[in-house]
Amino acid sequence: MPWTTPPGAGATVHIWNGYSLAERDRRWRAVRENAAKAGFGCILVPLGNGIDGRYMTQLRCSAMVLPADGRTPIVIADRRSSNAWVPEPWQTGREWAEPMAEALLDLGMERARIGVAGLSGGAVTHCSAIDGVVNHGALQRVMGRVPNACFEDATDVIGLVRYAKSDEEIALARESAQVASAGLDELIKRARPGVDAGVLYADVLARMLELGSEYFPLTLTIDSIDAAKPKRYTNPPLGRRLEPNALITNEINAVRGAQLTQVCQPILLGQIPEGWKTVVALQRDIYEAGLAMIKPGVTFGALADYIDGFGANRAMKTIMQMHGCGYGDDGPLFGARAGAGRARDLPIKKGNVFVWRPLAMSDDQMVQFSWGGPVLVTEHGAEALFKREHGMVAIA
Amino acid sequence: MDLPADIDWNGYSLVERDWRWRRVRDNAAKAGFDCTFVPLCVDGRNLHLSLEQARGTRSDCRFLTQLDNAAIILPTDGRAPIVVSDQDFGNDWLPEIRPMDNSWGESMARALIDAGMQRARIGVSGIRRGFYTHGRAFHGVVNHSSYAEVLRRLPNATFENATEVIGHARYIKSAEQIACLRRGAAIAAAGIDKMIELARPGMDEGQLYTRVMQSMVSLGSEYYPMAFYSGLHGGGRLPRFEDPAEGRTLQSGYRIANEVDAVFGGLIAQEQQPIYLGAIPDAWKPAIDLQREMYYAGLEHLIPGRPFAEFMDLINGFGEKRGMKSQLLMHGRGYGDDGPLFTPQNRGGRNRDVLIEKDCVFIVKPIAHSADGSFDTSWGGCVLVTDKGGEPLVKRTPGMVSIT
Repeated sequence: MPWTTPPGAGATVHIWNGYSLAERDRRWRAVRENAAKAGFGCILVPLGNGIDGRYMTQLRCSAMVLPADGRTPIVIADRRSSNAWVPEPWQTGREWAEPMAEALLDLGMERARIGVAGLSGGAVTHCSAIDGVVNHGALQRVMGRVPNACFEDATDVIGLVRYAKSDEEIALARESAQVASAGLDELIKRARPGVDAGVLYADVLARMLELGSEYFPLTLTIDSIDAAKPKRYTNPPLGRRLEPNALITNEINAVRGAQLTQVCQPILLGQIPEGWKTVVALQRDIYEAGLAMIKPGVTFGALADYIDGFGANRAMKTIMQMHGCGYGDDGPLFGARAGAGRARDLPIKKGNVFVWRPLAMSDDQMVQFSWGGPVLVTEHGAEALFKREHGMVAIA
Repeated sequence: MDLPADIDWNGYSLVERDWRWRRVRDNAAKAGFDCTFVPLCVDGRNLHLSLEQARGTRSDCRFLTQLDNAAIILPTDGRAPIVVSDQDFGNDWLPEIRPMDNSWGESMARALIDAGMQRARIGVSGIRRGFYTHGRAFHGVVNHSSYAEVLRRLPNATFENATEVIGHARYIKSAEQIACLRRGAAIAAAGIDKMIELARPGMDEGQLYTRVMQSMVSLGSEYYPMAFYSGLHGGGRLPRFEDPAEGRTLQSGYRIANEVDAVFGGLIAQEQQPIYLGAIPDAWKPAIDLQREMYYAGLEHLIPGRPFAEFMDLINGFGEKRGMKSQLLMHGRGYGDDGPLFTPQNRGGRNRDVLIEKDCVFIVKPIAHSADGSFDTSWGGCVLVTDKGGEPLVKRTPGMVSIT
């Protein structure tokens, strides 16, 4: 039985929901195909997995049961929300477990093999959430109400659909990259010795918001260029003015059409020391060499081995640092702390969009430099979605 | 107001840390728990049922550690807590943190075993909704896979709900917390001033939203999305936006409602100010006056030691004497999803016996409806409970701002 709007439901929160019905059908079809291949009766996007929920419904908050056999999914939403993709979702208030369980039962999943998206970190989505993103209380109740069904992880069933972008998504990733780049331009324009770092943070955020980005935290690392443990901020710094010789490394994130992209370019309020120039030059070379290697069919393992070994010839170190663009926590995730073993054998595909920002370091790792932004994989290779001159920006 | 560079605040003191931990330990001892366990909680970007809930998911962790993401085992007997985190560094409160290794489930289970909790009675915070915290989270805020793994690895321990153990410790604010909330309320009020300065017919709503947010962040607030409503009166419920809206322009005769939040020291302050782009219609004025009087009467009745029942009845019945209707809308302020929660939806019935206590901070924003029910209004802000009643954390005057 459909759940209808409970009394006193909260105000509808309007969010961007501009993808076409054709895009919806593409996503649902591809997820159904992956689910069928994996032998699932349906895919459950439960409470807690908000990112996959938004990808599948364009709703701000939703849960979903998508049967693999092509039947219409049941979507659960709150605050009277609906949209062109999901004109009549079941409505709930704060209770999610009961409608999720009823949706499974209504669709005949009493004894099914149910694929749960977000139960663990995936190869290409929910990459930083090793233990997944699912709400315990709600899933526990659902499993209790459907005791003869089998619940298994299906993060990659949706993940591998999110992995390759459609033309609609690529167009918005391009817009997103431009907004992020404009944010970086604002940072470069305003960063001067004596400037209040908190006000600078606010100005850069505001520049991206006025260009239509959804909010996503801006990350600034600000400290003297020779600081051993530079301080990282994801909120406006307090008690801090920029000082001469400050190095500002950054991750400038923008979101358009739910597509999260990022650009980064270090800024130095002073002259670039000689010792840094060789590292910057090495980074430019691995950036370019990697870009040339990124093609459909190449595995991430091969790319990582190439990049990670690149610096040794120059008695320096290099590390592949990259992650996917998209709805959030996209992969594969490679970096100094994340080896992305699960994605080593995964081939690069046409339509992938990554933030490509390999890391170059001096042999003692005291000098570290990363520069980059979003790149699109086409059938011919990689195309940068941002246009910037490589290097460290020096503001004397 | 101070700009960020001139703000001398480097986090809460070690005295504050010890005060929080001691309160939690005392509550745990009273409840008979061997330790209080804050497991890995779902992240707010994924569990985004509301702004409050998004911020509330990992709020117990921030309260106990000042870290954004960690699992905590706080033994009741006074031993040092074990903190597992995926963050690179600890902080002044916790210079040593245990890195999450392989999986959260495995790391948390190992930490519980190392703390000697194999056969213990373990109080789990956030496993379901509470009175003082996580009040909106009917299913709690705990991550499934890691918690299931902990249960699997400690089959002889007992795991029980302990949301109130931390919740009540969070309910009453220290002097340090009150100072942060006071600054946050002042920043939110400055955001409202910016909105009043800029909101005019013809103004792009996305630009207005951006400038208000910019003004608050440039005064040192963390970014906390403003809830912004706008539209003509009489067309049903106003649409709500939590990001800058695209393609919308303010028009003459628009109503603007808002929840303007500022976060300082991790604590969320909120101020609220209805605005009308035009001369306020006479038909609305009785309800606006009612709302003001109700707010002031409410302050007088926020007396420590009294149960909320009396306060609820006062506000919910306030309009009736004047032939109008009134409803209580208020909740706690703090790290996110603070309670108790009173809304027109839930009526707050489950909170009737909860006591108002000294040094609680609430957002108080009761709703007044016109006699014919065609108009309603809510104005409010942060209120501190003192021995003498409620004290607004920032001085503002209830009412609707008219911009002509």
